[in-house]
Amino acid sequence: MSQVPSVRERRTVGLLKRLRLSRAVVNVILGLVAVFWLVPTISLLVISLRPESLFGESGWWTVFTAPSQLTWGNYTTIFSQGFAAGGVLDSLTTSLEITIPVTILVALISSLAAYSLVFGSWRGRDWIFLVIVGLMVVPLQVALIPVVQLYREMGNLFGLNPYGTIPGVIIFHVAFGLPFGIFLMRNFLTGIPKDLLEAGRIEGAGEWKIFYSIVLPLALPAIASLAIFQFIWVWNDLLVALVFLGGNVHTPLTIFLYDQTRSLAANYWIVSTGAVVSIFVPLIVFFSFQRYFVRGVLAGAVK
Amino acid sequence: MSSVTLRELTKQYAGNAGLSLDSVSLDVAHGEFICLVGPSGCGKTTALRMIAGLESVTSGEIEIGDRVVNDLAPRDRDIALVFQSYALYPHMTVFGNMSFGLKIRKVPKDEIKAAVTDAARILDLEQYLDRKPAQLSGGQRQRVALGRAIVRNPAAFLMDEPLSNLDAKLRVQTRAEIARLHHRLGATMIYVTHDQVEAMTMADRIAVINLGKLEQVGSPRELYLRPANQFVAGFIGSPSMNFVPMHVESIDGGIRVVSAGGDMDVNLDDVESAMIHRAGVSDVVLGVRPEHLDHRPRSGRGLQLSASVDVIEFLGNDEHVHLSSGSHELVAIVDARTPLTIGDTLTLSASSEAIHLFHPETGVALK
Ligand SMILES: Nc1ncnc2c1ncn2[C@@H]1O[C@H](COP(=O)(O)OP(=O)(O)OP(=O)(O)O)[C@@H](O)[C@H]1O
Ligand SMILES: [Mg+2]
Repeated sequence: MSQVPSVRERRTVGLLKRLRLSRAVVNVILGLVAVFWLVPTISLLVISLRPESLFGESGWWTVFTAPSQLTWGNYTTIFSQGFAAGGVLDSLTTSLEITIPVTILVALISSLAAYSLVFGSWRGRDWIFLVIVGLMVVPLQVALIPVVQLYREMGNLFGLNPYGTIPGVIIFHVAFGLPFGIFLMRNFLTGIPKDLLEAGRIEGAGEWKIFYSIVLPLALPAIASLAIFQFIWVWNDLLVALVFLGGNVHTPLTIFLYDQTRSLAANYWIVSTGAVVSIFVPLIVFFSFQRYFVRGVLAGAVK
Repeated sequence: MSSVTLRELTKQYAGNAGLSLDSVSLDVAHGEFICLVGPSGCGKTTALRMIAGLESVTSGEIEIGDRVVNDLAPRDRDIALVFQSYALYPHMTVFGNMSFGLKIRKVPKDEIKAAVTDAARILDLEQYLDRKPAQLSGGQRQRVALGRAIVRNPAAFLMDEPLSNLDAKLRVQTRAEIARLHHRLGATMIYVTHDQVEAMTMADRIAVINLGKLEQVGSPRELYLRPANQFVAGFIGSPSMNFVPMHVESIDGGIRVVSAGGDMDVNLDDVESAMIHRAGVSDVVLGVRPEHLDHRPRSGRGLQLSASVDVIEFLGNDEHVHLSSGSHELVAIVDARTPLTIGDTLTLSASSEAIHLFHPETGVALK
């Protein structure tokens, strides 16, 4: 049975080898890039796991030769403060109190608006959409002061001034998240065949039913990416939080860390530990949402 | 009672100058299977969508059962629509797709289960109930779309070219399935297609639409044997009827029509001569179906012509022969055993019963 491989077979084998080789090269490059990206994060993690006293004495990489340096000390200190105002856990809670409602509201309102823009039949939909796209270029810092004033006016008129409160920050973030959210959702929803909605309508579904039983499930990949973007954007926001919550007792993690860095020499351990805590939450969000990034949700609908 | 009646139904889309549907009146009896046929863009889908309530009515009336439904929402019309694209919900299983409408109507769970199981059995889908549409073949998806319509037991079924996405073999198979379904359910069905074979094989009656206007309604046999005008004559039957413009001449004892170049002449019988007299025309369009052209000389009345062979399409049992006779092109169906080569001259004939005469300007069949 052992035959001399034909020219064609030999060529195939050669090609395969080359392919495998080039794949190896790609993998190495990818690995290097990953390491390059991960070094700061890993160093942060290690620093947060070393006692405060070692910071000035030796570099974090010495941990590889002396793993006994590692300790949960910083974390126990931080967490032992509990939820007292000004502590890490309190800031973590505040961050979540801002970020979660913003993410939900932006995803929900964007989907509803996009639904109406795509499947509604009212006049001027395209114009409204163009205006919304135009709003995406308005830089956030332009609006800070006018909105503060607007909030104050609201206080004068209704006795309800959102300035300095968590709802105040939430409203601001939602308003600035919507243009991109609507843009993203509209572009995704235009890919859903209209026939599906009409089929639903004939079968007796009302607009709400069509929205949440047909459109929403099909739009999950877009909603998941929007939610991740929005979550991370708001989670990392310092500017808006500083302007609207600067003097507040409860501040989000970004402000907490910012305050600590102002006296870095004394507080490096809190900064590193707090930073690790603040990375952790977006990671959880990312990994729990990524399963919705399925391609081909629409397969089999038509044709 | 679930008859469907259209009265002078007219549709003009916003922004369109012309009418997409022009004063169409049609009575579909309870339990009838009617096919709407016509060339692409003639308004078939428009008519169906108006009946379903997906398009507004410009003028006219739609009646389902004995309610005028012009202003009713689609869900209140008690109809089911099978889309050309199937429009299955991709995120739901076959069971989910078929039960969606019943769930909305708050039908008890066990009744839903029974209805879906029943439909799945009829359509041979029982083993696929847990699959998503993406995991089904085209034919299976088609059947799910049908099943979704059946389970609701609607007053009327509307179908928009439901077979056009299937391959030829599956189309024939599903065609038979739909016909069987119609017998079994005894439901009113309005079926849109541009495939006249589909219409001929399935329909109780066919409505031929052209440019938004209803040209003729009748049984397949009627449309084939007595087309009301040149459009219907050309649309029904495959290959299409041959048309030749002719000039009318009087001869002793009757009327003769002769083609422009004089290559073709027909001695008309008394009935046909009378038709021409009544119409008072000096020109006429003669129509004869390819399957009625005999490859045999004929004596007496009827059509007689000789033509040379341009193209031969072999189809197994018979051949479609494209011929030219003077400046006219014709198609004839001949037995495949006839020895023929391109360039041959054939003598063809047709009996006078096989000859149709149309008014040269209006295209209306002479009576
Ligand atoms: N939403 C619409 N807006 C404007 N014009 C339309 C619209 N839908 C259809 N038309 C026009 O109305 C006419 C009839 O269209 P329709 O879709 O009913 O044709 P059809 O007979 O179903 O054709 P086909 O066999 O290609 O499906 C066409 O001229 C088409 O351009
Ligand atoms: Mg159509």
